[in-house]
Amino acid sequence: MNETDPRLMPRVLYIEDDENARFLVRRLLQGKYLVLETDDPLDGLSLAEDTQPNLVLIDENMPHMKGSEVATRLRKTLPEARLVIVSAESSEGARERALVAGAVGFISKPINVDTFVEQVDSFLDGKREELEEAEQHMQAYQEELVERFEGNVRQLTQTIERNRYLLAQNNNMIAMLERRQMLLEAAARVGQAVTSILDIDDLLMQTVDIICSEFEFYYSGIFLLSDDKHWAELRAGYGDAGKEMMRADFRLPVDRNSMIGLSILEKKGQLTADVEAQESRFKNPYLKDTRSEIALPLMVKSQVLGALTVQSDQLSAFAEEDVTALQSMADQVAIAINNARLLQELENANNELVRTKTFEAIATATGEAIHWVGNKAAPIPGSTQRLREDFSNLLAMLSLLRKREQHGAELEALDEAVQDLLEEANERGLKLDELASALLSYPPKRLMALLDIESTLEDLQIIEHSAEIILGIKEDMIGPARQRKPASFSLAEMLTTLVNNMGLPKDAVETQWPGDLPHAFGDARQIEQVFNNLVKNAWEAMEGQTDAKIWIDARIADEPDHLLVTIKDNGPGIPAGIQEKIWVSFFTTKGDRGGTGLGLSACMQIVNQNNGKIWLQSESGRGATFFVLLPMANNQLSSRRKQL
Amino acid sequence: MTTVFLADDEKLVRRSLEKTLLRAGYDVLLASDCISGGEVFAENADKVDIAILDLNMPDFDGMPKPGAGLDLLARLKEQKPSLPVIILTAYDEVTKAKDAVSGGASAFFVKGREQGLVELIQKILAEA
Repeated sequence: MNETDPRLMPRVLYIEDDENARFLVRRLLQGKYLVLETDDPLDGLSLAEDTQPNLVLIDENMPHMKGSEVATRLRKTLPEARLVIVSAESSEGARERALVAGAVGFISKPINVDTFVEQVDSFLDGKREELEEAEQHMQAYQEELVERFEGNVRQLTQTIERNRYLLAQNNNMIAMLERRQMLLEAAARVGQAVTSILDIDDLLMQTVDIICSEFEFYYSGIFLLSDDKHWAELRAGYGDAGKEMMRADFRLPVDRNSMIGLSILEKKGQLTADVEAQESRFKNPYLKDTRSEIALPLMVKSQVLGALTVQSDQLSAFAEEDVTALQSMADQVAIAINNARLLQELENANNELVRTKTFEAIATATGEAIHWVGNKAAPIPGSTQRLREDFSNLLAMLSLLRKREQHGAELEALDEAVQDLLEEANERGLKLDELASALLSYPPKRLMALLDIESTLEDLQIIEHSAEIILGIKEDMIGPARQRKPASFSLAEMLTTLVNNMGLPKDAVETQWPGDLPHAFGDARQIEQVFNNLVKNAWEAMEGQTDAKIWIDARIADEPDHLLVTIKDNGPGIPAGIQEKIWVSFFTTKGDRGGTGLGLSACMQIVNQNNGKIWLQSESGRGATFFVLLPMANNQLSSRRKQL
Repeated sequence: MTTVFLADDEKLVRRSLEKTLLRAGYDVLLASDCISGGEVFAENADKVDIAILDLNMPDFDGMPKPGAGLDLLARLKEQKPSLPVIILTAYDEVTKAKDAVSGGASAFFVKGREQGLVELIQKILAEA
């Protein structure tokens, strides 16, 4: 084979996506032609323009563009080039389509290696395959082209729409991520803010403020469960609506009729995208603009403390992500509430301890003072008694002296005794002579006033009475301090007897306790004195009240192994200002109507000594309730445990 | 004549009790603490028919001590086992007073009602 300058060789471009076919054609044509290749029809179009090949071989079946379409296109840009379609398509019309598209020939695949070069040569030499009924085939090809074009347009439109949709989705995703980020940051802020606040009300108020300001929600509120767990009570509410609801002591029953109730019952967050559509939702008159809302339980471990509500004036304002973020915030708030509560309980226990210890100390100190005073007063009744005797004796002597004639010599001894008496009185500085001459000068009326027996006896009585009171106080104090004889006793029997013996009007006292009330343990006599005092106090506090009533109630206490007795009245109550003072010795509200002010002080001492507790709940004008907690008797404990 | 031995460190109480006892017709011997009480009783052990001892007063070392009266009670009983003794309690140390009774005292008496003490003495002496 002659060495030929490749620049002088005819250029053949082969547009084919099958690598094996390209390899074969390259091998067949190499040396004789300068073979250019590409596997992509669009690439082929530009390559053809750049290299101006003499002949272009085009595979019919390629992605994106058919070979015949490439031919049509090249017919316009390279009018001189010979175009040949190479195709495995054996169907009717494949060859005709190639020819009407602008090709000069059609070579079938698989390529026949014996004839291929010859075929290429002939096309380069100017061979052109003839086509009959060209018009008809042209029309068919055009129809096909338009159809393909329409398909492409449709596909492109779909692609654009798909792109637009993807873009929107991306934007949504970004917005959602941003919002989620914001919520999590806000949640973290709430977490930081709330865990450092130990006052519960302050904590809840700050939480709803942060939620509304950070998240720009319409309203947020926090409910806590009531002690009996039947109510969710609003403890913090945002804005003016919140304030109004707080003033109105807003609360919701824990049932399925509100989202708050439901979230507490199910221990699960509740989401309503459109409140109008939610039939069961509680319609809150304070929050008319709410369109969507969520309610999240406040939980510590598995215990529900309350619930958080967040409301928006937009429809569907909450995504699942919001629920997650807000729930994590609710969890932190719950922990903070729990911490604050634990602290409060600790403080209460501590205050209670300090209170009890203080009263004990006061009671002990006053007790000692009373004993001291009482002991100093001990001789008074004896001295008074002797003065009364002395005074009577003096009067008897006077009467004897008046009957001097009648008794005569019998009075000699008396005269002597009187003589001695007068001398001794003068010696002791009583100056009887001076007093006697003064008496002589007084008119009878003045004399009567000077020697007033009634007044003298009255003075003695005053001294005696005052001493009695002091000694009486001392004996009152002996009550609580006397040796205790703790034993098991029936509270029910004690209270029944007590009420019967107090002589109160029928129906004034109402008692209630279970038939199987266990026995209490303590000094029955002392404890009876406590109940006696409490009932008596209650009755006296209601003096003049026509509807005066006392309720006595005994039951097993919440504290393990204890009984609780409550004594409640509908009297004037005890003002908050003196509720602590009533336990202090000598404090009395009864004025001079009796009472030493030792009753409640002694009650507290007795109850404390019997390992119980006594306290009071009262509000001015709403009666008073005294609570007495007493240990349950041991034998009762064991028998009760056996029953369990 | 019945002789009562009275030991109490509270001067006015002692004087008042003495007067009440005198009026009730008793002879009275006085002491103000364990030391003087021990001495007075030692000199008059035969005469004394009944002793009244305060529970709390200075002890045999002259130091105020709760329950020192019980020390004196023991001393008196050593010398005269048959002697009736009444313990006076100023404070309501009933437990201690009861210890006193188990330690040989005939009774205890909470200070304050002197006439009651006279009745108690009469009762004990009548039983003796």
